Amino acid sequence: MKKIKLGIIGMGRMGITHFSIINSHPQVEIVAVADTSKMTLDILKKYVPTVKVYKDYKELIDDSKPEALIVCTPPNLHYQVCNYAFEKDIHVFAEKPFTTDALQAEDLKRKFESKALINQVGYVNRFNDVFVTVKKYIKDGLIGDVVRFKSEMFSCTVTKKEESESWRSFRENGGGAVFEIAAHAIDLVNFIIGVPDKITGTSMNQIYSKHVEDIVSSTFIYKNGCTGTLYVNWSDTSYRKPANKLELFGPKGKILADQHGLKVFLNKDDEKTGYKKGWNTVYITDIFTPVPFYVRGNEFTRQLYHFANSILGKDNAKICTFSDGYDTQKVIHQIFSDAKVNSIND
Amino acid sequence: MINMEKIDKIIFGDNQFFGINHMSQEKAQQLSEKFFHIENIYKVYDIALRNGINAIMLNSNDRAKEICDHFRDNKSKYGHISWYPSIPYPHKYANMVNEKGIFPAINDVLFSNNSALGVLGMVAKGGLAVFNKDAIELMKMLVDVEVKMYKGLNVKVIFIQNIIVDLLLGYDVKDVFYEYCTYIRKKYNAIPGLITQNLPYLKTKLEEWGIEEVVICSSINKIGYLMSPDIQSYVETINKNDDTKYQLMAMSTLASGAIPATEAYSFINSLKLQSVVFGASSERNIKETVSLIHL
Repeated sequence: MKKIKLGIIGMGRMGITHFSIINSHPQVEIVAVADTSKMTLDILKKYVPTVKVYKDYKELIDDSKPEALIVCTPPNLHYQVCNYAFEKDIHVFAEKPFTTDALQAEDLKRKFESKALINQVGYVNRFNDVFVTVKKYIKDGLIGDVVRFKSEMFSCTVTKKEESESWRSFRENGGGAVFEIAAHAIDLVNFIIGVPDKITGTSMNQIYSKHVEDIVSSTFIYKNGCTGTLYVNWSDTSYRKPANKLELFGPKGKILADQHGLKVFLNKDDEKTGYKKGWNTVYITDIFTPVPFYVRGNEFTRQLYHFANSILGKDNAKICTFSDGYDTQKVIHQIFSDAKVNSIND
Repeated sequence: MINMEKIDKIIFGDNQFFGINHMSQEKAQQLSEKFFHIENIYKVYDIALRNGINAIMLNSNDRAKEICDHFRDNKSKYGHISWYPSIPYPHKYANMVNEKGIFPAINDVLFSNNSALGVLGMVAKGGLAVFNKDAIELMKMLVDVEVKMYKGLNVKVIFIQNIIVDLLLGYDVKDVFYEYCTYIRKKYNAIPGLITQNLPYLKTKLEEWGIEEVVICSSINKIGYLMSPDIQSYVETINKNDDTKYQLMAMSTLASGAIPATEAYSFINSLKLQSVVFGASSERNIKETVSLIHL
């Protein structure tokens, strides 16, 4: 049985999780990891001796010659790592946000498509059972064409003043509520509604962070008349875990959704889904599909298995490609520009 | 090898107290409001005990220390209870790991002056160098930090949370599991427990590694929710199990409320399980559940 030789660049929180998940895939062999922390590498070398460890990603690529890479470095390094992988014809899964610059994202999208290399970005909601169901309902016209929407995300990521600074403290490196949290809420809009034609009315707040935003809100406008708002707060201690919330309104009804379930309100009975006029509740337990190996949510397993199975030619769905990552990147940078225009302090 | 002590058939869980509901954030919020006052938690425990439950599973979260103190301070009333701690409280570490990376975060928990967990006295500052490359020693220290609050209670099994078990399971490293189990037996005279969402795979690995006399706790329910890879593999694994080697405990038996209790427990009763952990907050639900479980 063919096995994909895979490397992981960056063994932070996501790298550690991705290692565990993809190592369970019967047709993947993790051959090497790279990280700047000597301690992390020493521990890995001791307990997982089959995996080679490197301090330098280029050395990993040149020496271990992986066919596929999972890139989980701080976001500002994604571009150079992906570029080097491209030169060596390596398939890449890059964590979100895809890059810290829209032009870099476009460049990577163009390059990887030109060589038909498998490329994927880690917007994991595109693999969540609830959001996949919502997308299907919208596509099937369950509530008609969406006229208005709200995409919100809350987490208790930053809840006190930082004691020390890391890459997460600066936007240049990919830090801040927009890059880290809002990126998911924006990508969900792109996934379910489409890429907005105009961004306006953006504002940001700082609560604890010195250099980056803790809260962002913005308005998305579409040529077809649809409009929506984005509201993201990563300093909300009323949330134990990160929560995505989506509200979609159309002429035939409305949908409320989060990662755990959805509610559908319809003006008339719907034959296809069997939903009645009025409120209908769908829980995750009604629509989940199990995964072969579970670490932290079905969607995390599903996204990495999709990457591996795409390389193996077993899955042709092309979910969350660099092209999708580029679309979300564009919106992110439009939001930054719009916030600057709206600021009265500068 | 001495025979593994039998675990309690019915164990009272804690998710309902701490705003955890996998199906509904709204429901979780309501519960978290209700149990904001810790006296309301004690009242529910008293109802559970009145209805014949003698065992408690409690995660080492922010509020667990106070709960442990309460039970310890009222030993004459609660001395007969068996405890099933689960460690760690993952969210405590999640953000730290995000900020700094996993090993610096562990370093902070163990050695920082500001650490509320207070193991500083145990090791001189800069002691991390001693543990360099030795994840096992780090693991033992983290266990000590988390288990400290249960001291003086009758601890029967010490569980590791599924987020850690399943993460490590993916790395396919025997040593960490082996050393954990040995440490729990020796230092705490308790049975090692592992919580997982991958029961068939974990059990296969434990057998392969020769690790026995372990309690495995896993989501087990009629609809296959949080059961990887699938329900059929679970049923086979459970029914083939030798309970002198592995005692199996079911959690999420109602799949967060998706299955009516009667239906849920007729499925559970049909399996060769040793124990069920469940959480409920009303006397009616507690009574009903106790009456439905026949292992």
